[in-house]
Amino acid sequence: MRKFSKAEEEAEINMTPMLDIVFIMLIFFIVTASFVKESGLDVNKPPPNEQQKKDDDKKNILIQVDSSNRIFVNLRPVDIASVRANVERLHAENPEGVVVIQPAEDAFAGIVVEIYDQARQAGVYNVSIAEGRQ
Amino acid sequence: MRDHAQTEEDAEINMTPMLDIVFIMLIFFIVTATFIKEAGVEINKPPAVTAEKKDRASILIAITETDEIWINRKQVDLKSLRTNIEKLHAENPQGTVVVQADARSKAGLMIAVTEAVNDSGVPSVAVSTKEK
Repeated sequence: MRKFSKAEEEAEINMTPMLDIVFIMLIFFIVTASFVKESGLDVNKPPPNEQQKKDDDKKNILIQVDSSNRIFVNLRPVDIASVRANVERLHAENPEGVVVIQPAEDAFAGIVVEIYDQARQAGVYNVSIAEGRQ
Repeated sequence: MRDHAQTEEDAEINMTPMLDIVFIMLIFFIVTATFIKEAGVEINKPPAVTAEKKDRASILIAITETDEIWINRKQVDLKSLRTNIEKLHAENPQGTVVVQADARSKAGLMIAVTEAVNDSGVPSVAVSTKEK
């Protein structure tokens, strides 16, 4: 009986080198695993040929930012904090209108993102960012 | 002599269940590994309330306060940005692009970068924000 069991144990494969490799692979993938979750806002820019049409359409809400970061909603100067209220009011007047943000080249990107966010808070999810005029 | 060897073998731990678990963990980490291309610089992101989580983001492009563009730990200029994006996008065609624009970087540059991403054929581009 003892002899039989001895013979069976000798037939086993030595697992140690494989185990070493598997552990090293495991450690490599644990270390390189990066569960980075970026949060962000989708940007949709109108295609260039559509841009002119949108500018002419008075129903849209045009938000301009000049190079010293002043904000104009439909050409009226407003404060950054009241962008949301303005967009809400104009959106209630004509619900089909979209928001077009037109920042100047030198305006801060943070301001543009903040306006974008405020327009979305006001319930207008169709926001586009157009290239600005100086 | 044989008795001695026999007791030593009895003292061995059964490795099979541990091996099973190790293999399952290995497969899990291989499958979930996505290798995000980090931009390589710290950015002061603008805050936003309505931001959504972007699960498939694989390429990060950073625009610093001094209007430098960083992609894949290298600083590039606007002209060579498109080829860089195309190269990285070919490695992982399902991934999307996130632009990390500093709150004080120029809006014109941010628009130019998103335009370059659109031109390179990536279907989805987002601007990175932090929670308010």
